[in-house]
Amino acid sequence: MLSIYKHELKLGFKSLLIWTLSVGIMGLACILLYKNMEGDMQDMADMFSSMGAFSDAFGMSTLSIATLGGFFATEVGAVHGLGSAMFAALMATVLLSKEEDAHTGEFLYSLPVSRANIVIAKVMALLTELIIFSLVCGLCYASGFIALGEEIPMEKLVIFLSRMLLMNIEISAVALIISACSSKNRIGVGLGLALMFYAYDLVGRVVPDMKDYLFVGPYSYANASEIFAEKDTPVAAMITAVVVITGSVFAAMCVYLKKDLAS
Amino acid sequence: MKDIIKIEKLTKTYGRKRGVTDVSFTVKEGEIYGFIGPNGAGKSTTIRSMLGFLSFNSGSITVLGKDSVKDHTQILKKIGYMPSEALFYPSMRVSEVIKLSADVRGTDCRKEAEMLCERLKLDTGKRIKELSLGNRKKVSIVCAMQHKPELFVFDEPSSGLDPLMQNTFFTLIKEYVAQGATCFLSTHVLSEVSRYCDRAAVMREGRMIKEDKVTNLTESSIKNIKLTIDGEHKEYMYNGDINELIKELSQKKIQNLFIEEPSLEDMFMHFYEGKEA
Repeated sequence: MLSIYKHELKLGFKSLLIWTLSVGIMGLACILLYKNMEGDMQDMADMFSSMGAFSDAFGMSTLSIATLGGFFATEVGAVHGLGSAMFAALMATVLLSKEEDAHTGEFLYSLPVSRANIVIAKVMALLTELIIFSLVCGLCYASGFIALGEEIPMEKLVIFLSRMLLMNIEISAVALIISACSSKNRIGVGLGLALMFYAYDLVGRVVPDMKDYLFVGPYSYANASEIFAEKDTPVAAMITAVVVITGSVFAAMCVYLKKDLAS
Repeated sequence: MKDIIKIEKLTKTYGRKRGVTDVSFTVKEGEIYGFIGPNGAGKSTTIRSMLGFLSFNSGSITVLGKDSVKDHTQILKKIGYMPSEALFYPSMRVSEVIKLSADVRGTDCRKEAEMLCERLKLDTGKRIKELSLGNRKKVSIVCAMQHKPELFVFDEPSSGLDPLMQNTFFTLIKEYVAQGATCFLSTHVLSEVSRYCDRAAVMREGRMIKEDKVTNLTESSIKNIKLTIDGEHKEYMYNGDINELIKELSQKKIQNLFIEEPSLEDMFMHFYEGKEA
């Protein structure tokens, strides 16, 4: 099983590198931009914070983007939230289906490892990739604070990255079901799933009637503005996430173990 | 000789589509067993059911004395499988694929792999995406043979290999079989079956229509008739009393007449066209 795990890590290395550097460097660039815009920020912050539901949706009514913390939460929060979710969905959607899509399944599944162990090894490799993604992006963001000569908000940054990681795991768990059901790579469906969850959260924050149902979506507990504004931990949403992750992985496993593998 | 593969009344359907119906056969220890049939006859479905890629509707499959469903992983440890397509991860090097295959089995196969690569003239430094079909087949052969399995399962193994490599491949099979291995060979190439196999089964439309020793498959009452009457050449298979045929032909003006034992190709065509022997 360890060989399959290492093999899967090797297969995903290029995607991991591209996505991690893209999101990490984009976040770092956003932080570095703050110094150039600092002088003009106050007027912009006042304007953005008084745009009603729109300000709520992007967290600008909670935090001032004139501060580095507020700027990080609104700008980098959105970049990391979308980028990491798309990466997680992309990797999970093809995790199992790529073997049938590329016809490598006959080689892999003729090796003396049970199908369940192959799925476990692949899921563990994906989890490792998501953790590496979060850590490297975290290092990029921390180096941005250091470059600006500001103190790193370590506790908030760790909470932000941890909740984002949980959100990534939840989205990838749901995408894993798509992968288990399909014998073709459905990258579009996976990316659509990530964007759909993001849109659900945005709409949920704009439409007052939907606020009570926000906890269902994975973005509800990973909102950077709320984390940096030190709002209460959304326990219900996080418990829901754990239930969704467990149920999705179990469902994907059940489907995949009984599935006839395409040649 | 003990049974290495025992399939009893195997039936597999894909929804409403036919897969295989009531397929039963036994492969004995030390045999090279041919599995013949046209495309869509159910050969791959049988193999894929045997290896656990497909779940079947009814019947039972025992491989190396173990149940193919319950003891699937244990069986795969002792099998060397070569799929017809021989597709691997394009960005990996040949050496990495061979190493992965050995590592998963938890065995050090370096010596055997080195010998196989040398005999098959395989460049292990190349990436899979740089290889031709023939060279990918060679990678597949090394992966299937390096751990010296008790049973080889080959699905269309020689397609893509040049005649020299085909010869090396079958020499390797004979060497491993001489050491006690058993070989199950699914193929379209009937000359391979007649040259290398001890017994063979013929599949047609999901059913096994004949199973016998290869020598017996070609020795039957069926004769291949070639004749020239009034300058016109005719060739056909005849299944009946040869005296009746001669009596009938004696009334015509024949320039040439050949009555031959049918080749395996002729027999295959005979089965394929739906006539029973």
